[in-house]
Amino acid sequence: MEGPSKVVQEPSPFEKVVDFVDERVGLKTIQAKMLNEPVPGGSRWAYAFGSCLLFIFILQAVTGILLMFYYVPSTDHAYASTQYIIHEVDYGWFLLSYHFWGSSAMVVMAFAHMSQVFLWGAYKKPRELIWLVGLVLFGIVMGFGFTGYLLPWDQRAYWATVVGVEIMDKTPIAGDFLARFLKGGPTPGQMTLSRFFVIHVMVLPAALAGLAGLHLFLFRKAGPAGPFRGSPAEIKAKTDYFFPRQIWKDIVAMATVFLIICSLAFIEPVVLLEKATPDPGDYHPEPEWYFLFLFQLLRLKIFGGEFGQFLGAIAIPGAFMAFLAALPFIDTNPERNIFKRPVALIGWIVVMLGILIFTVSAIINREFLH
Amino acid sequence: MQPKLSAKAVCSDKEVGRISKVVVDPLSHEISHVVIQGRNGKSGERQVPISEIREVVSEEEVVFRCSSEDLEQYPLLDRDSFVTVHDVEIAHLEDNLHVEPGEVLVPLPRLEREIPRRMFFANMTHAIGALITLPLVYPVLKYLMKPMYQPYDNSWFQVGNVNKIQKENVGYQYKFTRGFKEAFMPEQEIEKNIWVVKATPEIQEAVYGGEDKKFYDNKGDVVWANKATTPFIGFSGKCPHLGCGYKWRKTKNYPDGVFLCPCHLSIYDEAGKVLDGPAPRALDVLPMKVDAGGNINIIDIEYKAGVKGQIRLL
Repeated sequence: MEGPSKVVQEPSPFEKVVDFVDERVGLKTIQAKMLNEPVPGGSRWAYAFGSCLLFIFILQAVTGILLMFYYVPSTDHAYASTQYIIHEVDYGWFLLSYHFWGSSAMVVMAFAHMSQVFLWGAYKKPRELIWLVGLVLFGIVMGFGFTGYLLPWDQRAYWATVVGVEIMDKTPIAGDFLARFLKGGPTPGQMTLSRFFVIHVMVLPAALAGLAGLHLFLFRKAGPAGPFRGSPAEIKAKTDYFFPRQIWKDIVAMATVFLIICSLAFIEPVVLLEKATPDPGDYHPEPEWYFLFLFQLLRLKIFGGEFGQFLGAIAIPGAFMAFLAALPFIDTNPERNIFKRPVALIGWIVVMLGILIFTVSAIINREFLH
Repeated sequence: MQPKLSAKAVCSDKEVGRISKVVVDPLSHEISHVVIQGRNGKSGERQVPISEIREVVSEEEVVFRCSSEDLEQYPLLDRDSFVTVHDVEIAHLEDNLHVEPGEVLVPLPRLEREIPRRMFFANMTHAIGALITLPLVYPVLKYLMKPMYQPYDNSWFQVGNVNKIQKENVGYQYKFTRGFKEAFMPEQEIEKNIWVVKATPEIQEAVYGGEDKKFYDNKGDVVWANKATTPFIGFSGKCPHLGCGYKWRKTKNYPDGVFLCPCHLSIYDEAGKVLDGPAPRALDVLPMKVDAGGNINIIDIEYKAGVKGQIRLL
């Protein structure tokens, strides 16, 4: 039986444009290569953290650029211009609060992402470099938090920076130079604000964008690690492509993150304290919540004194990061199943509990001080 | 139909070997030659123009026009005159060429052959790059370091009057504003604070140890000396632990009052000595003079926090 003869249609103008570009750029190949990434063992919700980080970063960049339309990075205008954004500019409070809560979301998501990679044993050969670049990216995220905190130039901002820079000053050899370099002088002032501003809006975004690109490139080169259980045949049977199932999970996760950040911005919008000044008045200086555990650690007597302080503020966090960097080279056992890696599992639980306990005790101490 | 690499090569008289490589013209993207590997691998590889192919019988067999003897006239493959497509960037090659895995060769341009100074050029490129970068290092460093090291400010500021002090050995806070001129900025008023204690002789002894306390400028010259027997002692408002602002407070353990820093909970007595907490040294005594009218004047010195010794910053 013959079907109706096919009518060969002329391509529409849009298709012609697409073909024109495709011939020169290879768009369709790029698109196919981006979407048709095999995900061993199939898509999972647990794989959405990385995509969420990228999503949060993009929105931080967008809201950050918007804030710069009104913000003035000078000690005599930073505070007033931030107050203007909050109180006068339409939806300024929302964009600023979104940016503020977005930064917290970024830290939380980075923790989740790193934990997932750690628990899945996905840092192991051949993915060592992805892990290393990821650690640098984590450092950049923390740098964003630290430099961005100063910009509103209120008391909270000022004192977190005073203490943070004093801590960096304790780095052996380079500490004094580093602290003066960041402060742009002996004490915090305009030079500090200028430096933190340019680092926050130019240096770190460029570094993050470049390294995130490298991170993704290396990830695509090595391919996803897949589940840590199951025979090769089982994994193969469940394998699908990045599109559509994983992208669907990713976009649902991103929408959830977006809703959470928006809700936080509505429920707890940013409110500034008094304008920054070297007299703290009644304000009890405290860093952003994700630095609270380190802050509480430094209250301990064993981390007192010159040496103790170096130990608590520099040596221990430094050694911990160095350990994480060395991890894929120390832990060369190819076993990825977390339930067969008791040291790794216990280590992760101990670190998380430690951070939790110190954070909670910092909050309890806060009550005691009032 | 396109033959596979490793397809049989058959001349007009007999089978001569297999196709081992193909040569591609880098500009037209067309295959210009095939390379025939003689049978048994003994007779070497010969480069035969594509025009000699009479028929592609199947993916596995290619028939040539010439006889096996004629084939001998074609040159042996000079492998060094070619690079593989892995070594050269040819746009859209894969759109035109559908080859099974194997070696696809591209002739090395004549100008690129036998360049003895290839390494020299590579090194020179790096050297010129370094010559562009190096002269920038020092100016850039100096540019960024401009505000980092400044002479100390030894001017005096009046912070208040001693008549507000009623009790001995108790901390009283004096808030003051001072002008602060930074780089291009107009002078700004900033708020600071110090703590003053009217000390009994025991406390004076605890602070000064019986010796006058001298203060120095950048050159090491003495700017001012606090007499060991002055009753009024001024402490810098900056906590020597990590630079927060501390307060005079009464606590459960210290009902008479102590200096307490809310940041990391360092506790100091009225002589500034560390009682508890992580602070590495006592509170910093400031250069201070009280005039006949009871007005307190200080030099607004700041020391580096977190170290045992006093390292002056401001």
